[in-house]
Amino acid sequence: MLKYFYLTKRQWLGILKWSLYGLLTLLVLLLQTVVLSPLSIFGAKLAPLPILIVCVCIREGPEKGGVYAILATLFWCLSGADFGNLSVAVIPVGAMLSAVLCQVYLTKRLLPTSLCCLGVSWINASAIFVFKLILPPSLAADNYWRVLLPGVLLSMLFMPIHYALVKLIGRIGVRDAL
Amino acid sequence: MRKQISAKTKWLIVIAILLAAFVTVTAATKTGGWGEQLVQTVLTPFRSSASALVRQVERYYDYIFKYESLQAENQTLKAQIISMEEGVRSADSLQRENERLHQLLGLATEHEDYHFATAYIISWEDSSWKSAFTIGKGTNSGIHEGLVAVTEYGQVVGLVTAAGSNWATITTVLDSALDISATVASTGYNGVVEGALATGSEGLLRMNYLPTDSVLRNNDQVLTTGSTVYPRGLIIGYVTDANFDQTGVAKYALLKPAADLDDLEQVFVITDFNNS
Repeated sequence: MLKYFYLTKRQWLGILKWSLYGLLTLLVLLLQTVVLSPLSIFGAKLAPLPILIVCVCIREGPEKGGVYAILATLFWCLSGADFGNLSVAVIPVGAMLSAVLCQVYLTKRLLPTSLCCLGVSWINASAIFVFKLILPPSLAADNYWRVLLPGVLLSMLFMPIHYALVKLIGRIGVRDAL
Repeated sequence: MRKQISAKTKWLIVIAILLAAFVTVTAATKTGGWGEQLVQTVLTPFRSSASALVRQVERYYDYIFKYESLQAENQTLKAQIISMEEGVRSADSLQRENERLHQLLGLATEHEDYHFATAYIISWEDSSWKSAFTIGKGTNSGIHEGLVAVTEYGQVVGLVTAAGSNWATITTVLDSALDISATVASTGYNGVVEGALATGSEGLLRMNYLPTDSVLRNNDQVLTTGSTVYPRGLIIGYVTDANFDQTGVAKYALLKPAADLDDLEQVFVITDFNNS
């Protein structure tokens, strides 16, 4: 019976790696909703969480990373994110396509990852903006340039830190697998 | 690129889209509340700890870097107190007269019927298009949807729009989704106050449906008219500007919110009041 609960060293390292990704996600969610959300720069609030999700997905590949992206975005949505239901589709799909793009045509280095993160964050924010524009009380269209774009660009300041942390965690178990 | 996407990835994309549709439907039909309840309940202790930590760090920061500015502010306030004391002396006689009139009319002491639940803010809404925050108390403390949150000075902060056992979400007056029936204290003009975020005036409120011939002055106080949700006489804001709306048949006024939402740490939720 006990043999079914036996885990190899590689499996333990896998658990450790995904636990650390989970912990990092929780910390970034707290950073976003507790520390950063009371502040607004040019009327925009910063959102580092979508960037982290795309970073992890690119690092871990579209399959494992895709499952993580779906779960992380669902958790964010259920924590009360504005139009989180839209993000549940946009962020994981964008992250998985970014992972495929980086795997096949680009690399997992900082610049391609940054471009993918910027793209997914921008598409997610734009999709939410379009719904806010249509649904009452509708937003003024000039908010797109005045608030949305600075918000997306300023959120990218977190990208190098996320990239470095994800790269560090992603190394766990790699040597053992070889 | 389509050939490079594995079957498993394609399935995950389909699952993500279906999940988004499911979350949308359950949110619209209010049947999926258990998921949000669970996540919010689990997150609340983490958010409370993080926000307590942030408050502590802010206090140290203020102590270290704002000492000189506080000293200067203290000097200014002392000068203000001296000039105000003179005003208070003349107001004393008016106050005594007022108290006598109150007794004469048999008026109850103001807001004696209010019951409060106090709570600290543990997190803020992270969207640029919404103004809301979460407090660390919920249905266990008698806080439920549709209650009003105010500051210690009776200034309207917002309305409880969602609540769980140990958390509640308060949508602030700055959010365009909130409509409050209001009156200008000095003149009695009635209107509806909403957040001006959608119209591009962040940080301000907009009072709509004012009469075209209404005369408004800067710093006119705007109060709640009273309803089953909002008690009468709570301070919403002060007039900063007025103009005709797009139709030209009604006026609107821009208001500065009375509550300083930027420095808000703690709110008081009115759990019960006599609305008769």
